[in-house]
Amino acid sequence: MLLDRRLIKNFDFYLVLLLLALCGVGMLTLYSATHGMSDIPDPFYYLRRQLLWFGIGIGVMLLICFVDYINFQHWARYFYAVTLVLLAAVLFIGRAAKGSMRWIPLGPFDLQPSEVAKILMIIVLAKLLADREGKLNRFQDLLVPLLATMVPMVLIFLQPDLGTSLVFIVLLLGLLYMAGAKRNHLLIIIGAGLAAFPLLWFKLLKDYQKMRLMVFLNPDLDPTESGYQLLQSMIGIGSGGLTGKGLFNSTQVRLDFLPEHHTDFIFSVLGEEMGFLGAAGVLLLYFLLIYRILWTATQAKDQFGALICCGVAIILSFQILVNIGMTISMMPVTGIPLPFMSYGNNALLVNLMCIGLVLNVGMRRHKIQF
Amino acid sequence: MTKQMLRRVRFVFIAVIVVFVLLSARLAYLQILRHDYYWYRSEMNRFTKITLPAPRGEIYDRDGKLLVSNRPGFVVSLMDMGEGYDPETVSLLSEILDIEEEEIYSAIEGRQYMRYLPLQLKSDLTPDIIARIAENRWKLKGVNIDVQPIREYREGSVAAHVLGYLGRGTVGESTQELWAEAGYQYQVGDLVGQDGVERTWEPVLRGKDGEQRIETNNLGQPINYFEKTEPIPGNNLYLTLDLDLQKVAEKALEKRVKALQKEGNKYAGRAAAVVMDTRTGAIRAMANYPSFDPNNISENYEELAKDPLRPLSNTSIQGTYPVGSTFKMVTAAAALEEKKISDRDVYRCNGVITLYNDTKSCFNNRAHGRVNFYSAMAVSCNIYFYQVGLAAGIDNLARYAAELGLGVPTGLTDLHGEAQGTIASREYKEKVTGGEMWYPAETMSAAIGQSYNSFTPLQLAVYTSILANGGTHYRPYLVDKVVDYQGKVVHQTQPEALRKVNVSSRTLSIIREGMRRVTQPGGTAYYYFSRLPVSVAGKTGSAQVAALSSGIPAHSLFVGFAPVENPEIAVAVIVEHGGIGATGAVPVAAEIMQYYFTGSTGDSAAEEEGGSEEEARDELEEVEEEREELDEGREEAGRLEEE
Repeated sequence: MLLDRRLIKNFDFYLVLLLLALCGVGMLTLYSATHGMSDIPDPFYYLRRQLLWFGIGIGVMLLICFVDYINFQHWARYFYAVTLVLLAAVLFIGRAAKGSMRWIPLGPFDLQPSEVAKILMIIVLAKLLADREGKLNRFQDLLVPLLATMVPMVLIFLQPDLGTSLVFIVLLLGLLYMAGAKRNHLLIIIGAGLAAFPLLWFKLLKDYQKMRLMVFLNPDLDPTESGYQLLQSMIGIGSGGLTGKGLFNSTQVRLDFLPEHHTDFIFSVLGEEMGFLGAAGVLLLYFLLIYRILWTATQAKDQFGALICCGVAIILSFQILVNIGMTISMMPVTGIPLPFMSYGNNALLVNLMCIGLVLNVGMRRHKIQF
Repeated sequence: MTKQMLRRVRFVFIAVIVVFVLLSARLAYLQILRHDYYWYRSEMNRFTKITLPAPRGEIYDRDGKLLVSNRPGFVVSLMDMGEGYDPETVSLLSEILDIEEEEIYSAIEGRQYMRYLPLQLKSDLTPDIIARIAENRWKLKGVNIDVQPIREYREGSVAAHVLGYLGRGTVGESTQELWAEAGYQYQVGDLVGQDGVERTWEPVLRGKDGEQRIETNNLGQPINYFEKTEPIPGNNLYLTLDLDLQKVAEKALEKRVKALQKEGNKYAGRAAAVVMDTRTGAIRAMANYPSFDPNNISENYEELAKDPLRPLSNTSIQGTYPVGSTFKMVTAAAALEEKKISDRDVYRCNGVITLYNDTKSCFNNRAHGRVNFYSAMAVSCNIYFYQVGLAAGIDNLARYAAELGLGVPTGLTDLHGEAQGTIASREYKEKVTGGEMWYPAETMSAAIGQSYNSFTPLQLAVYTSILANGGTHYRPYLVDKVVDYQGKVVHQTQPEALRKVNVSSRTLSIIREGMRRVTQPGGTAYYYFSRLPVSVAGKTGSAQVAALSSGIPAHSLFVGFAPVENPEIAVAVIVEHGGIGATGAVPVAAEIMQYYFTGSTGDSAAEEEGGSEEEARDELEEVEEEREELDEGREEAGRLEEE
């Protein structure tokens, strides 16, 4: 399968440029956040691993471009099966960390099924909804996609990983909306979800999760435990000011005041060191990236491709909102990483694969005319 | 793409725009509008100040003999070595130091975010404990033995009331104000002077603590050290006290009290002596018995505070006593100055006198026959002074008492808590009894230092000094100079003449001559002073404090100065329940003067003559003194007036 010249012509270098810029800033910030860690003697430990997975991710991203996405439509049922098997497996053979089972150890590499599930579910839902194009007028038409999402979502919730399971709800609602479901029907689903909230609160949420939500509503509630992260993150970002303390000059990181600074709170390191100009600049890059993805959606040659792009845009936007919102106390503390910046090889790989899907759709945007 | 889907994608895109605008706005708010606040918070995170304590100033006597210094004491402390506190170490330490484990853990709890500071567990370790810690060194993780200054009172209990002590207790408002003036804010838990010059000169002794700014991490462990302000050591005090004289005075008081107790006097137990330079007001000795050891006051405080002999009280300035015949110079001054008598006027003493229906007598009802001022002073004839007192009148007695420094502030500022005493007067009686009248019989009591007259030993010393130096009231002081740690004199006390008393020098010289007669053959204090190489003038006193029938001995007093021709020092001594002057206060005063003028106590000489001292005392008791039926007399006088 050779690449058509037209395919190369339609390859979105602009999107790739945005991606590289984001990943570049991410690598710098990650190095700044990790090079002085007292428990790791090698200052390049995290950077090297992140670069390795970035390389692998870019490779996989390009590989995806070679395969016409139309084929994924046929593989969707297998993707779904793989999703369920992995999510079920992690509950039994997963490695426990910080009170939840999120990883399946595979030699030197830990697989995080919930991350893999994100890209697979984008394809699965895009396929289900593309099949129902123009036939989503009745509520019962929504049931199959709804159920298809609920099963992996519940499995993720059981790990437990509240934040990631929320990603799937948003993905489902966003795609249903864009695919043409009636607003009233979506409101019913949202209403039902809210009605189930008391059940969630009293039966299913762990204490630390409740605490995080309450601390979000009132950060002074517990300045030493859950509120501590939030407070230290805001201190870091706020003290950065307009121009920041300069690269590698984060005192919050150097003196260990900011927990999880290379993963969930990488954005506060950026805000502290690069200031408002740096942080807002990165926000602009993200915005342009999302814009480019949605633009690709509008150019897609079919409903399936358009929905894949929309799914990627929704998932990335939601994670950006929740993660950055968390670091500046607009959102509760959840364990959702910042795409392309937080340290984490599964997320980086999956996010790059998502961009691969978008590039794929974009390359094949014009209907082939013979 | 359908039109509907395009519309919906646009709508989602607008939602995304809104999200990014909100995020940017929030970032701008935190990083631009509230930047100052968060910058401050991040600096607060980073920096901590540790105090570098200033060494407290030392205290010396007038000759530079060291009285108070700082000795290195060993303190055991526990530190977080970066991985928390080791439970085995805690349990072993708890055993060695004899501190409950819970106590150590609760102290650790209190230190949550201050791990850059070693946690002090016990100070001033004994060599035993240090040895045990050293033996177990390899088992005790994060345990340090540090050196910390401990205040050392080199002479133990000597001059304890003048020196004072340190404590963590609260201090009075006046002291706190003093500190505020010196630019120091009192903090609860500070080790500060609680008494004596340690208290009044606190701001001078304290010095200025230094500071070290350190950068700490989230556990409070030090990461970097920044600018440092070196502590400025406190200033050293040079007192007016003469250490050797002080010791002699204290030893003499103790010896006298113990001798009295040995004789079966169960009321004896407290005594005080003050030695003052008549030319300057410098206090050369201020001795109280019993005393206490400031080195271990914190362990013994409860016990000392409960002791009925009140060892913590500075009797020299806080004890007020009826002063008996030592008051007679006031009576004489009043009558002479107001021209009621002349020194040559003769009165007849039959041993007993009845005036205003009140019968009063001389000591042992002894008849002194024809007496003038000089002979009356020598033998301390009460009958003479009753009549002279009546001639002068109570108002004059009260006026001249105050004029000569009794019952008024002495002007001492180097010690806190001085009592003012009271002067017998119409006004005072009216005040305390709710308007009762003054009776002439009470004037007779007042004339010999009884009635409401009540003064401190320091006031007696000031009074004697005024008589001796020709009428100048010098402010008594204890701190001669202040020298900073570089040896520079930063304060030198100049003798301060507070006032010139309104008594003619002729009257004063008559009084001095009367006082000289006291130590001459036939005088009440002849025996003890006859052996001194210096001429002494003085007056004995015994102050009745309970009805005769109670069997409680009178307070024994002596005031005096020497040399008569050119006075240098005034001495005031009181021995509570010491009996007559010669059995209590006079030997103490004599010993002090002997040491002052000869540099030796003459102990050996006295011991050789042990036998003859006894004889002399028997003889003296024949010659001596006065006794007044204070209470009975006053009551009788009252009844008489009512009739």
